[in-house]
Amino acid sequence: MAAPISIRNVSRRFGDNWALRPVDLEIAAGEFIALVGPSGCGKTTLLRIVADLQDPSSGEVRIGEDSAAEARRKRLLGLVSQRPAVLPWKRAIDDVRFTQKIAGRVGFDPAKVLAEFGLAGHENKRARELSGGMLQRVNIASAMAHDPSVLLMDEPFAALDEMKREEIGEWFDRELSVRPKTVLFVTHHIDEAVMLADRLLVFSPAPGRVIEVVSVPVPRPRSHAFRQDPRFVAIAAHVRGLLMHQAAA
Amino acid sequence: MPADVALKQSAKVTGTGLRTTSSVRWARRVLWLVMRMAMPVVSVLLLWYLAIWFSGLPAFVIPLPERVLEVLWEERAFIFGHLLATLQVAAIGFLWANVAGIGLAVLFDLLPPTRHMLMPAAITLRNVPYIALISVLMLAFGDSILSKTTIVALAGFFPVLINTMHGLRAADEVQLDRMRILNASWWQTFSRVRLPYALPSIVAAQEITGSGSIIVAIAAEWMISSTGLGYVINHAMQNYRGDKVYAVALLATALSFLIYSFVHALGKRLDWRTAGEQRRG
Repeated sequence: MAAPISIRNVSRRFGDNWALRPVDLEIAAGEFIALVGPSGCGKTTLLRIVADLQDPSSGEVRIGEDSAAEARRKRLLGLVSQRPAVLPWKRAIDDVRFTQKIAGRVGFDPAKVLAEFGLAGHENKRARELSGGMLQRVNIASAMAHDPSVLLMDEPFAALDEMKREEIGEWFDRELSVRPKTVLFVTHHIDEAVMLADRLLVFSPAPGRVIEVVSVPVPRPRSHAFRQDPRFVAIAAHVRGLLMHQAAA
Repeated sequence: MPADVALKQSAKVTGTGLRTTSSVRWARRVLWLVMRMAMPVVSVLLLWYLAIWFSGLPAFVIPLPERVLEVLWEERAFIFGHLLATLQVAAIGFLWANVAGIGLAVLFDLLPPTRHMLMPAAITLRNVPYIALISVLMLAFGDSILSKTTIVALAGFFPVLINTMHGLRAADEVQLDRMRILNASWWQTFSRVRLPYALPSIVAAQEITGSGSIIVAIAAEWMISSTGLGYVINHAMQNYRGDKVYAVALLATALSFLIYSFVHALGKRLDWRTAGEQRRG
């Protein structure tokens, strides 16, 4: 079950330096939010604050009725990093089971889901025996294995080539329609963000602040054809313009 | 005729290509294994004879290899009894080194402030000259198993501590974030992530400490004991029995080498980076 997220006046400073200027945002249950902006603008910082892996300097995060810390303790969160967190000595299926065992909650049948994720026949392979795309699928399956309400994704497809990135992105969008989650998705890739997200949080360069929240008023999951849609092109151009304007300023 | 050519020709007679290839491969592997085992022995013997030839030193300083083997055989009962005493000291000391080294590293991981409290003491202990330590232990406990095993443990615990500490800190941050997000307990994170990542480092420490324990045990016995291979060396020196000293040295080296090889092989099986490859192979 997806949960709403409330980010209220959340900021982060390191001494006199702002890593993240105050952010306010209400995210509905099941909504997909992409955080886009240049490197060092605070996207990952915001994600880690929501994950309760880092404390904010001000403000608070509520996930449903809980604080971020309570949500983490209740294992309501799933984390997907750029580098897959698949344990190198475990087989793919055991890695998914491992999440369930640690979380003490079985979200779904690992074999069935790995098959749905296009990994039938690869369940017993270790990380080094899987391609980058397969490994990232196992990573996502493991992060979702305990059926978290919120999925926090930090550039999950960054290590993949363009074709694989599009393919896995569209696959992931379809998966979310089967297993709805509230998603916070950090990316540098504007087209990917527009393709997947309901809303984009566009950040300024460091010290990061949200310069605009851009909506993508097209229902998900979206087909590949959406990339040719004038609305896709217009939104991507608008976001690109915002970022270029900020970079030039 | 080269071995490969001979093997290929004999294989042609059987007339089965598949069998030919596998038997040639098998023969090559056996040949390679024999070469690998024989080469160190051959090179050591060669150096030994060259040293005798060029140094011109008397036989009690540098005896012939065959004389050393002869002594080993003739005095096998005497040497074996002392070998057992040395093994006992080395094994107990090795065990204590691991209990102290791994135990402290785990404690530092569980309670980080203890590292600041205890690490200076560990470093100090490491840097005290062993001769001074042995003298103090001799005064405190005399020629006892306690004094000798303490010396072995003190010599061995530091590499175990440092390697285990580094190993426990080598765990991938991505994996640690995963455990935090799943609200895993300290024990779950330690046993499921930190320890497997630390295993290669811990094994490396065992390779140093395991083989080194024999050497340190002999050194301690040489200084303070009336048993063990160290004592045998001391006794032989007093009687100008260089051949016996060499016999003990040869035995100790072989033993250290065996322990190193055993730990190394065990480590390869435990190491998650190579374990899968071995199974596939």
